[in-house]
Amino acid sequence: MEEYAREPCPWRIVDDCGGAFTMGAIGGGIFQAIKGFRNSPVGVNHRLRGSLTAVKTRAPQLGGSFAVWGGLFSMIDCSMVRMRGKEDPWNSITSGALTGAILAARNGPVAMVGSAAMGGILLALIEGAGILLTRFASTQFPNGKEPAEDVSQ
Amino acid sequence: PASLGRGCLGRWLLATRGWALLGAGARSRSCSCLRWRHQPPLLLAAARRSFGTQAGGLKAAKPGGNSKDVSVQRALNEETLVSAAQKVKEAGRDFTYFIVVLVGIGVTGGLFYVIFKELFSSSSPNKIYGDALEKCRSHPEIIGVFGDSIKGYGEATRRGRRQHVSHIEYVKDGLKHMRLKFYIEGTESGKQGTVHVEVKENLETGRFEVRYIFVDVETYPRRTIVIEDNR
Repeated sequence: MEEYAREPCPWRIVDDCGGAFTMGAIGGGIFQAIKGFRNSPVGVNHRLRGSLTAVKTRAPQLGGSFAVWGGLFSMIDCSMVRMRGKEDPWNSITSGALTGAILAARNGPVAMVGSAAMGGILLALIEGAGILLTRFASTQFPNGKEPAEDVSQ
Repeated sequence: PASLGRGCLGRWLLATRGWALLGAGARSRSCSCLRWRHQPPLLLAAARRSFGTQAGGLKAAKPGGNSKDVSVQRALNEETLVSAAQKVKEAGRDFTYFIVVLVGIGVTGGLFYVIFKELFSSSSPNKIYGDALEKCRSHPEIIGVFGDSIKGYGEATRRGRRQHVSHIEYVKDGLKHMRLKFYIEGTESGKQGTVHVEVKENLETGRFEVRYIFVDVETYPRRTIVIEDNR
């Protein structure tokens, strides 16, 4: 329980950034391996070399963009937690929207709004899935009635 | 064709003798003569090839008047041959896609419903937690113990996000009750508190009203601060 004795928040940013990079690199590695394999000349050596080249070039790029998204999202989330003083699903949704908006800032205000909506909706779905999972996990142990009225009055 | 062939043969013999002297014009004439001599078999081969490309041009979509007519006729023939099996396969594929789209929409709609209920309905644990936290923040005794800015959080998950507030719902005497527990922390270090909230459903208004809120302070002589007690 030592890890939960300290505040999770500033260290959570590094955690999320690294986790996102790993996800992007592994997922991108698999996709680019298959794509590079298929887009190479006939012959197993050619194909393997093409697949390896594609993985070496493209997978870190995808991992990098995932890491930027994850790191920025976690930073905004921790800032909101600190500002509001409360941990809520609202923090996550707003963080997702702001992350989408900031990452589309080069394409003008309309693109920012669209990207913010997408980020917010995506995070809302993820939060909904998380809430569903915790509710299902907690209703696995049926309690019925809570009789212990241990009110120290 | 026979007489012309003989005449062409003569010209061909002439061409081979004076090949270098005659120049491009004669060469083209002799070449065309040669070509014409070999034309009948070539004509058949060319016709076969063009027939083949026109049939393959169904997929390539080559523009051009008569090739299009030929391709349309071929398409009609091919369609009537394979239409039954093709239609069944396509219908099956469309049906599968339709089912997949329906399942996706259903899952997405379910997730949206869950998140809306959690955030916007007044009977969700998150809302009750928010209201109780506001009441805690404005209570003078709490401020005195914990300091000015009070932050609240729930149970810690493995990733470190502490959004889940532990709650239990039960029914007693036909009314729905909910019990919540969350933690608060203030600016004064080392002081943590556990807030216990219980709400009861009010049948007239349909909303939850607070039964009690009290805070356990984790100091050595355990203090309990009562914020609201409507039992």
